[in-house]
Amino acid sequence: MATRPVGHADTLGARMTALRHGMSPWWFLLPAVLFFVGYQAYPIFRVLWISFTDYQYLSSEPAHFVGFNNYAAALNDPLMWSSLWRATMFTIMFLPGTIILPLLLAILVDKVSNPRLATLYRVVLLIPAVIPSTLVFVLWKWMYNYQVGPINHLLVDVFGLFTLQNAPQWLGGTSLTLPAIAVMEVWWGLGYHTIFFLAGLAAIPKDLPEAARIDGASEWSIFWHITRPALAPIMMILVVLRFGTAMAVIDEYLIFGGFNRDSPTYTWTMFMYDQAFKLGLWRQGFAAAIGMIGAVAMMIVMIILIRIFRPKG
Amino acid sequence: MTIALETIHQSSAGTKPAPGWFRENRSAIVRHGVINFFMLIILAPLVWVLMMSIKSRSDAMRSDFWPRRFDFTHYRYVFDKIDTFPINLLNSIYVTSGTVLITTVCAVLAGYALVHMKPKGGGLVVATLLISLYFPVRVVSIISVYEIQDYLNLINSTSGLILPYVTLNLAISVLIMRSVFQLVPHEVVEAAKVDGAGPWRTLWEIVLPMARNGLVVIFIVNFVTAWGEFLLCSTLTNDQIVRTMPVVLAGAQGGLGQWSWPALAAVYVLVVTPGIIAFTFAQKLFFKGLAEGVVKG
Repeated sequence: MATRPVGHADTLGARMTALRHGMSPWWFLLPAVLFFVGYQAYPIFRVLWISFTDYQYLSSEPAHFVGFNNYAAALNDPLMWSSLWRATMFTIMFLPGTIILPLLLAILVDKVSNPRLATLYRVVLLIPAVIPSTLVFVLWKWMYNYQVGPINHLLVDVFGLFTLQNAPQWLGGTSLTLPAIAVMEVWWGLGYHTIFFLAGLAAIPKDLPEAARIDGASEWSIFWHITRPALAPIMMILVVLRFGTAMAVIDEYLIFGGFNRDSPTYTWTMFMYDQAFKLGLWRQGFAAAIGMIGAVAMMIVMIILIRIFRPKG
Repeated sequence: MTIALETIHQSSAGTKPAPGWFRENRSAIVRHGVINFFMLIILAPLVWVLMMSIKSRSDAMRSDFWPRRFDFTHYRYVFDKIDTFPINLLNSIYVTSGTVLITTVCAVLAGYALVHMKPKGGGLVVATLLISLYFPVRVVSIISVYEIQDYLNLINSTSGLILPYVTLNLAISVLIMRSVFQLVPHEVVEAAKVDGAGPWRTLWEIVLPMARNGLVVIFIVNFVTAWGEFLLCSTLTNDQIVRTMPVVLAGAQGGLGQWSWPALAAVYVLVVTPGIIAFTFAQKLFFKGLAEGVVKG
């Protein structure tokens, strides 16, 4: 079927017929490839190149190739390490909750046999997933608000755990900001991840746990020997993808934290952004190196995670 | 194919006789209790913001859940009094529809070509798309994306946002459409070819109608991303008038006057509801599409 008629067609009519029938698949791929190359592949290589120069965006001086100078400077900057550590801290706060809670919830919802109720639960579960990211952040920014936020209202007025004077300050880069964002992220992903696990649970033949139960297996050993292996592939994808999103969070920090270098929200992504678009003459060469170091560090851990969570056999 | 068959098999295997009625029932009550607790946690913030949008201004500052006096005028107020509100809303609609349309066309064409036209190097394309899902492209590439937009004179332009927005979910959309098109038997495509239909007609009249569920998924995924995008919009634009509504909302400080809390909440409800309503109506197709496109891939 290797036809390449476009080159041979002489008349317009023949050309049109050739176009309609033997059209190269690459014409169909072209729009996607153009966008992908233009706004994803090229920018990554361009940033890689910039990271080896002393490029400053607002400077009129031409950029020079400086080799690994930016990388050396970044790796010698204590802020590079503390900012990577902060991103890691956030990931540690966020990742277990966003995997384990949905897993528990999925096992419970999977047992609901009333079809109407099962559908209703699924619809409610997915509502946070169809709330656009910024609107989730805005909503929780209000939830955590000092004056009108319902969370402090509950803590102070309803439960009386705090007074107005010592009520927790969630936002603005305090030590509570990272846990607060982690709670928000778990809320956001709760339903979506549950739906993922539910799809995996649906693929387990129902008579398998039944038979095990009749043979006297405990619920725990059913979970460990039947459910867990069946969910392993989904678990791996979720762990790796969510690790990736958690390490590279930036929007949340821009909205909840701000550019305070001492804030726990000042992670490597904020460090990069600050250098690239805020400080001085926009030292984008240096910023690009920060971005590359962060990305490579992430990728290394991701490969390790894939090895750990890869389904056996 | 196997997935589709399995789903049918599963849905018919829902009913089972319950031995030991009372014990079974007791665990069911606990189960539903726990599930409903989580449902409450999911819904509570949304209910709170809905209540906020219909409170009187003085009740808004007192933060009791149930207001002493309701006030429904905030919804009209934000249209009349917040000067950029209608424009920001239009910006959001414009950018989102542009993004969803272009991404869908790209993903459908590419997904179809990858499955049914068997291009040389197709495997490489799929591998590259997969790798891009794991790399923090969005964050790291922003330096260069800014440069490109500046070069094209698209800084501070609403339309300009559509270009980088398209790529935010392009890879996943192509991969989803690819999985969905794999469910269409190759014989169907071959038969259409024998009947003299070109790839265009085969795709448009035969394959696409069979991929409806997958289309719903990439529609919703792209809508959600574009409607709520923050990083690119706040980096590539400067003026409130060219920005999308959620980004303006993220920068607004609640207080008195134009941006009183109930007014903010009313804007929020107006911006968040379309997506939730659309999803609720499309949920059946969405879940089917999710099973076909995401779980398989």
